Amino acid sequence: MLSFIVRRLLQLIPTFAFILVVIFLLVRLLPGDPASAMLGDRAIDADVNRINHDLGLDQSWAAQFVAFVKAIATGNLGESIELRQPVLSLILQRLPVTLLLTAMAAIISLVLAVPLAFASAYNRDKPADNLIRGIFQFGLSVPVFYLGIVLLTFFGAKLGWFPVGGYGDTWPEHIYHLVLPALTLALTLAAILLRNLRAAIIGVVGAEYVDFARAKGLRPRLIMLRHVLRNALISTVTLFGLSIGTLLGGAVVTETVFAIPGAGRLMIDSIYGRDYPVVQGMTLALAVLVSLTFLVTDIVQAWLDPRVAR
Amino acid sequence: MNAVADMTPAPALEVRGLTTVFESAAGPVKAVDDVGFDVLPGEVVGLVGESGSGKSVTLRSIMRLVHAPGKVSGSVRWQGRDLIGLSEADLREVRGGEIAMIFQEPMTALNPVLPVGLQIEENLATHLALGRRERAKRAEELLDMVGIPEARRRLHDYPHQFSGGMRQRVMIAIALASSPKLLLADEPTTALDVTIQDQILKLILRLRDELSMSVVLVTHDLGVVAATCDRMAVMYAGRIVETGRVADIFAEPHHPYTRGLLGSVPQAGTERSQLLSIEGTPPALSAIPPGCAFHPRCSFHVGRCLVDRPPLDGFAPGRSVACFEHRRVAAAGLAR
Amino acid sequence: MTLVLPAPMARARRLRLGRLPVSLIAGGAILLVSLLLALFPGRIAPYDPLAFDYAALMKGPSWAHWFGSDNFGRDVLSRTIYAYRLDLEIAVFATITPFVAGSLIGALVGYAGGVVEAVFGRVVDAVITFPQLVLVVAIVAVLGPGLNNMFIAIGIVDWVYFARLVAAEVKVQKRLDYADAGRAMGYTPARIIFRHLLPNSITPAIVYWMTDMALAILLGSSLGYLGLGAQPPAAEWGVQIADGKNFMTTAWWMSVFPGIAIVVTGLAFSLVGDGLAELLRTRK
Repeated sequence: MLSFIVRRLLQLIPTFAFILVVIFLLVRLLPGDPASAMLGDRAIDADVNRINHDLGLDQSWAAQFVAFVKAIATGNLGESIELRQPVLSLILQRLPVTLLLTAMAAIISLVLAVPLAFASAYNRDKPADNLIRGIFQFGLSVPVFYLGIVLLTFFGAKLGWFPVGGYGDTWPEHIYHLVLPALTLALTLAAILLRNLRAAIIGVVGAEYVDFARAKGLRPRLIMLRHVLRNALISTVTLFGLSIGTLLGGAVVTETVFAIPGAGRLMIDSIYGRDYPVVQGMTLALAVLVSLTFLVTDIVQAWLDPRVAR
Repeated sequence: MNAVADMTPAPALEVRGLTTVFESAAGPVKAVDDVGFDVLPGEVVGLVGESGSGKSVTLRSIMRLVHAPGKVSGSVRWQGRDLIGLSEADLREVRGGEIAMIFQEPMTALNPVLPVGLQIEENLATHLALGRRERAKRAEELLDMVGIPEARRRLHDYPHQFSGGMRQRVMIAIALASSPKLLLADEPTTALDVTIQDQILKLILRLRDELSMSVVLVTHDLGVVAATCDRMAVMYAGRIVETGRVADIFAEPHHPYTRGLLGSVPQAGTERSQLLSIEGTPPALSAIPPGCAFHPRCSFHVGRCLVDRPPLDGFAPGRSVACFEHRRVAAAGLAR
Repeated sequence: MTLVLPAPMARARRLRLGRLPVSLIAGGAILLVSLLLALFPGRIAPYDPLAFDYAALMKGPSWAHWFGSDNFGRDVLSRTIYAYRLDLEIAVFATITPFVAGSLIGALVGYAGGVVEAVFGRVVDAVITFPQLVLVVAIVAVLGPGLNNMFIAIGIVDWVYFARLVAAEVKVQKRLDYADAGRAMGYTPARIIFRHLLPNSITPAIVYWMTDMALAILLGSSLGYLGLGAQPPAAEWGVQIADGKNFMTTAWWMSVFPGIAIVVTGLAFSLVGDGLAELLRTRK
C-alpha cells in the first residue's frame, strides 16, 4: 500500500508539468492577447506593451516558460490588477470557502445517493425504482444556476428558512449559509452517483460471493454493507473523484448565484474585470486541487480494493 | 414419488416435491420439477446431470438461495423443520450454522475485497458465541484443518493471493466454520486441475468423517461420483430420472440417459469398446417435450413415451427409475 | 426499504413501439418539435422576441402573453421559442467539431497504439484535471465573451472525451479478424482506419454525442447566465434566466419558462442517448 502511494505521488510530477504547460499555452496559443482583452476598447499601444512586459509576454517562449515555472515554484502567482494583491494570498483567502462548499455538496450527494441507490436497486423496475430514477434524471437536466435560483427563491426568499446569499462570519453561520448552495451543487452529483451505484449494486448482488454470504446465514444488513456496498463503491469512488472537477465547475456558478465570496466568484469577477493573473492563478489552483483529489480517490480505491495496490 | 426406499437410519434431509419456477416473459419455466430424495446421516449423495439439468438450482432451492423471479415450493425437511416454510430469521440460523454450501468457482464465490480471515470470522460471529480472540484462533484452526500452510499468516491475505486449489480450501474452511451437519457442494472441483481435484475430494471426505456431516455433491463428472459418493441421483430436464447406490447404478443403469452417461466414460478393466454417446442436446427448460423429456434422444422409446411422463418408481430395494422401458435398457447393458 | 434481493438477470421487459425503445421515440419526438421551433420561430412565435412593449411590463401569463412578459415588456413565449434556435445551435456547433476531430484523433491513436497512445493518455489526464467549466471560463477570459469564443473554448476541452471513447473501441476492433484481413489484402492503414475500423468503432461516440449535446446546452446556458456566452439582448435561455433572476418572487414566469425549456431539451437529448445505446446494444 505504501509503495502504491509513493508510486502514485510520483505520477503527480508529469501531471503537474502538463498542467503548467496547458496554462502557459492558454495565454500564448489562443488568438488575441490578454493585454488587449484586459484593456478592451480602451487599449493604447503603450499600455498593451506595458502589460505584455509585466506578464513577460515580450520575451522568447522558452525564456517565458522558465520564468513562469520559476515564479510558480516560489509561490509567486503575480499580482491582481484589480485588487492590487498577490494572487496567491487572494487564492488562499477564497479557496477555503469553495472547499467547504464542495465538501458539503459531496457529503450531501453521498448521503442522498447511497441509500437511494440501494432502494432503487433492491426494488428494480418497481414503481419506487422508476420514481427515484425519474427524479434524478431530472436532476441531470437542470442547470446548476437555475436550480440555485429556484431553491434560493423558494427556501430563501419565500419561506425564509435559509439566507438568500452571503457567507456569514462564524463557522456555524458559514455552514448555515452554504446549505442551499451545497444542496444545489449536490443534486447533479447525486444523480450521477446514483445511476452508477445502482448499476454497480445490481451487478454485485448477482455475484456469487453475495450468494455465498447468504449461504453463510449472515444478516441482510451485514451483507448489504460489508459485501454489496463495499464492492459496489469501488467503481463509484472513481466516478466520484472524476466528478470533483464538475463539482468545482458548478461551484463557480453556484457562488455567483448565491453571492458567496469563494474562489469561483473571484474567478468570474476577475473575468468581468479582465484581471488575467487571477484567472490564471485560479485555474492553476483548481487544476492542482483536482489532481490531488484524483490522488486521494486512487488511494481510497486501493484501500477498498486490495487487488489495485499490489 | 418417493425417491429412495427407506433404509434403517432416519434420513437427515428429506426433500419432497421440490419445484422451482422462474417467471419469464414467455411464461413460467420449471428449472426443478418435483424433485425428491433423502440424505442419510454421514452419507455422500451425488446429484448428476448435464449443465441446465437443474442440479445446481436444486441445491440452491434447498437453502432458498434462488434469485428473485424464481419461486421454490415443495418441502425440505431438516431436523424436524420444513426449510421451505421457515421464516427468514430461522432460515439464517440453518444457513451456515447447520447446512453449508460451497460453490464451483472460489474466485467468484469469495469476496475479493475482504481478507479470508474476516470471511471465516463473520460466519463464526453469526452462529457461535465466541469472543474476538477465540474467533481468530478458530479461524486459524480452520485454515489449518483444510490444509493451508502457515495458516496464521494467511488469515490476512486476500482471495487473489491464493492459488486455485488453495482458494477452494479457503472456501471450504469458510463454509464449514460453524461445524454444519450437511454440506451442499456445487461442482466443487470442476474449476480445478485433475490432481488438485483429487486432493479437494479427499479433503471433503476427510472432513465429512471428522465433522460427521452429510454431503450433497452436485457434479457432471461421473468419475467424481464414483470416487466419493455412496448414492446418486441422475437429473434430466429438471427431474430426477434414476436413483440408487452408486455401485448398483454403475453396474446396471436402468435409465437410457444414465446408460448414455456411463457409456460415454471409458471404464477401466473392460475391453476397449466403442463409447456410447447421447444423440442431440438437452432441451431448453422453456421447451420441454411432452411425455418423457428424454424421448427425442432415446433409442428405446415407445409410443407411450411421447404422451405419458414416466413416474419415478422403485423397482428394487434402494433403486428407482423414471422409465417405462427400464428393463430393456438394463438388459441392453453398456455395450453399444 | 425491503431487503428482497433483485434479480441479477431481470427479464427483458422493454416496452416497444415497433422495434424502437420508448426513450428514443419520446426523446426524438421532443427534439423534432424543438427543431421545428428552432427552424421556424418566426412562423410560430406570436411576437418579435426583441420588441419592447412598455405598455406590458412584467405582466403575468395571459391570453395575450401565454408565458407573460418581461421587464422590458418582451413576450417571454416568443423569446423562449427564438431561444430554441440559439440553444440548439449551441448544442450542435459546440459539439460537432469535437465529435469529428475527437473521433478521427481517437481512431489514429487507437490504431497507432504504443508511444502515441501513452502520450495521448497523458494529454487526457492533463485535460481532465481542469474542471471543464473552469477551463472554458478561463479560455473565454482570454478570448473575450461571446458565442464563437465559447464554441472554441468548449471544443478545446471536449474532443478528448470522444477521442478516448473511439481510441478504446478501435483498439478492440483492430484485434478482430477483419482488420487482419484488410492488412493481408494490402490495404493502406488509412483505408483500414477510415473505411473499416472507424465505422465499426463510432457507436459509443455517437451515443456520447447525445449526452454531450445535453451538457453543451447546460454549459452554454450557464455561460449565458454568467454573461460569458450569448450576450443580451439575445434570446437565449441562460440570458433570459439571468434577466429574470431578480424578479423571481414578483415575475416568476420570466425565468421559469426558459428553465423548463432547458430541462425538457436536456431530457430529450438524454432520452435519445439512452434509447440509441439500448437500440445498438440489442442489435449487437
